[in-house]
Amino acid sequence: MISPEKPTRTRFTRRILLLWSLLLSAVLPFCLNATASASELVIYSGRKESAIKPVVELFERQTGIKVALKVGKTSGLANEILQERQRPRADIFIATEAGVDEILAREGLLESYVSAAVRAMATEYKSSSGLWTGISGRARVIIYNKDLVRGGDIPNSIFDLTDARWKGKIAIAGTRERTTLAWLSALVETMGEAKAKAYIDKLLENGLKVLPDNSDVWRGVGSGEFAVGLTNSPNYHLALEAKLPVGVVYPDQGPKGMGVLVNPNTVAIVKGTKNLDQAKRFVNFLLSKPSQELLVHHAFEIPLLPGIDPGQVRPLSGFKALQISQERLADLENKTIALFPGL
Amino acid sequence: MTSGGVRNVELGGLGMLWRSQTVGLGLPAALGTALIILLTASPLANLLTSALAGGPKAFAILANSSMLSLIAQTMLLATLATLWAMILGLPPAWILTRTDLPGRRILQTMGVLPLAIPPYIGAFTYITLLGPVGWVNTTYRAMGADGPIVNVYGLWGGALVLGLFTYPYILLIVGSALKGSDPALEEAAKAAGLGPVGIFLRVTFPLLRPSLLAGALLVFLYALSDFGAVSLLRVNTFTTEIFHQLNTRFDQRSAAILSAILILLTAAVLIAQRKSLGRRSFVQRRSGARPATIYPLGRWKVPALCCSYLVLSGSVFLPVALLLYQTGSPLSLLYTLVSGHRYLWNSLWTAAVAATAASGLGLFAAYLAQRRKGPVGLLLTSTTQLGYAVPGTVLGLSLILLYNAYLPWIYGTAAMVILGYLLRFLPQAVQGSTAALAQVNPNLEEAARSLGRSTWQALREVTVPLIRPGIAAGWMLVFISSMKELAATLLLRPAGFDTLPVRIWIASIEVDNTGAAATSLILIAITALPLFLISRLDATVSQLN
Repeated sequence: MISPEKPTRTRFTRRILLLWSLLLSAVLPFCLNATASASELVIYSGRKESAIKPVVELFERQTGIKVALKVGKTSGLANEILQERQRPRADIFIATEAGVDEILAREGLLESYVSAAVRAMATEYKSSSGLWTGISGRARVIIYNKDLVRGGDIPNSIFDLTDARWKGKIAIAGTRERTTLAWLSALVETMGEAKAKAYIDKLLENGLKVLPDNSDVWRGVGSGEFAVGLTNSPNYHLALEAKLPVGVVYPDQGPKGMGVLVNPNTVAIVKGTKNLDQAKRFVNFLLSKPSQELLVHHAFEIPLLPGIDPGQVRPLSGFKALQISQERLADLENKTIALFPGL
Repeated sequence: MTSGGVRNVELGGLGMLWRSQTVGLGLPAALGTALIILLTASPLANLLTSALAGGPKAFAILANSSMLSLIAQTMLLATLATLWAMILGLPPAWILTRTDLPGRRILQTMGVLPLAIPPYIGAFTYITLLGPVGWVNTTYRAMGADGPIVNVYGLWGGALVLGLFTYPYILLIVGSALKGSDPALEEAAKAAGLGPVGIFLRVTFPLLRPSLLAGALLVFLYALSDFGAVSLLRVNTFTTEIFHQLNTRFDQRSAAILSAILILLTAAVLIAQRKSLGRRSFVQRRSGARPATIYPLGRWKVPALCCSYLVLSGSVFLPVALLLYQTGSPLSLLYTLVSGHRYLWNSLWTAAVAATAASGLGLFAAYLAQRRKGPVGLLLTSTTQLGYAVPGTVLGLSLILLYNAYLPWIYGTAAMVILGYLLRFLPQAVQGSTAALAQVNPNLEEAARSLGRSTWQALREVTVPLIRPGIAAGWMLVFISSMKELAATLLLRPAGFDTLPVRIWIASIEVDNTGAAATSLILIAITALPLFLISRLDATVSQLN
């Protein structure tokens, strides 16, 4: 049985192709099933899942609106929103830092919405044009290892850290963590470019260790790899929860001290959302008392609205905060990155 | 048969290839080729053109003085990891297939298990053990010493971890070649008076070179594109820098330029591999060959056993033991399994579909490239290798750009995740099929045809049975890689659709050690299963021979 060469050869490839397309068509229904339906509210959240999920579930129960939640890192999700600008997939963007919202806002990717509850919030923690709203805050604090740092040695100011006794013992997350970037920009704004640069250079000369992210900082300090760390207030509580021997300082509180930068966690509605009404309901819900308290208590964050029980964390009224607008910090961003190449 | 004989046989085969080339490309073959090229090349082409549209400004990042050291560091890391993987993989490959080591069937099965452990999980293990405040250093300090004795962070730690969890690529591919090679060659050498070492160096090793290179290439390219382990171990490489440019600086242009350099680096490596193999890439694999010669180990038995278990300890026992310890109780494992069954299912079916699709496409591409040399075959193999060069983050973003804009009905579905796996791991399927096909002399098909079989029958009756283990191995590699994939999945998953690695990642940023450990164990157990099945299948194949 001899058949001509060409047809059989093509028949072979044809069979492979046929098999392949059969397989694809068999699988496609599965894939389409897994997609979010149009009526679902799609939330991209940079907040930890353990913090945001209880709130989302409460929202689903109370309103009957279905939510598809995508948890990730704030800047990664912001990047997705940038890439998806032609056809937005997210309705809501929850960020751990406002600078990212400013980037998206300047690209025209956010929808303006001012919830009634927001009127009671200080201007530093919300967008002046209503493009994003703070939901809770994180203070920029110093944490220290109680086994390594005792009594009178505890630093009271960020400027104490240039002291020789801290040489090689300080950790900070690099500017890849946007809260560090915001903090540096705040230094540039309050101290002026030259002084801020001189201060950071001194820290670097003092062996400042730049780590990839904030969790490296609190774990490193907690485990004794470093004596002190510059990081965000919830990390102090996380370290305590992990039973690590850490203490916290809200630095520069004296009458002439600059105070502590508070970075707001934020919520924003993505421009082009097909579910604008539901999205607005979600923003209102997020700023309501039950979800505010859920958030504050789960993630140890500072309430930005009055009348919310702060739980274990120090409330805004309990320390001197640095007053600076997020729009101003965003303006400084590129300059800050260029100014501190070592971070 | 001498190597000269092999070459002569091949020259005869070339004549036949030339003839078959004159037949021309059939329509299905052309369509298939176009489909593969469109699938693999278009996302990256789209990313690059969108980046380059900005003009010369796009290249600003190259002026950065740290760029050269970044390239050097990345290449050094990949080289060190590959050398380390060869040290770990080559001797066991020979010992486990060619000696009378007791329990070598079990060892063969366990030797490939590190492939079930994603390097980022391995990195966690070694940070816990060898980090600045890891167990080793803490013990060392507790003994009164000052300062850390080891530090796993940095280049050496990166190479250590990457090598430990990728050496099975070499073990698998070289082991399979050792099983399949013709004992007649070694018998001839023995008759000529060579000892086991001489036989290995003069006969076995030269025949193994293609498979060793193929395995080393897998490790090297994996190390080039790894993101999870290197970022945990604080090694700055191209992938971490690309990630940084994209996800914290939002600078798509710089990221695209860096990606292009990474692709060029990879292309250079692939070309070097092809050059070094030259035309002598055929190792004849006879149908119905006798099983390979087994050498008695004698007094080397105990040292060989110790070494085998030492390698396994570092790459399997230690990580698994640590994960079991961190999981705490079987109850928490069960809880994770029950509450996370949805993620397990998501991982399973997407990886299975991707592996099957990649095997089909891979066989098609490999066959076409092998049997029809020329520009089309070259184009096909080059584009299917693209996945090697591209870190998950870049692939994910390029897919987002392309599909969200042009095929929005696919975008936002799990099909995107599958597509990501497919493109990233297609090279493994192609590699598997190519390595297997390279061992089959086209003359065998020709002979079958001269005996009255049609081309299709010759393929089905001669070639396919011979390459089935290679295809199965390719399927398995793609399945396992897909099960472990993290970077692209993070980007491509639709909202609400998480896989096991994504859950491990989320648990780890939540500092939920128990959850991360339990999910890791489930992932390892699931990926160990196909590894186990395949090593059994391989055994049955060699028994049938």
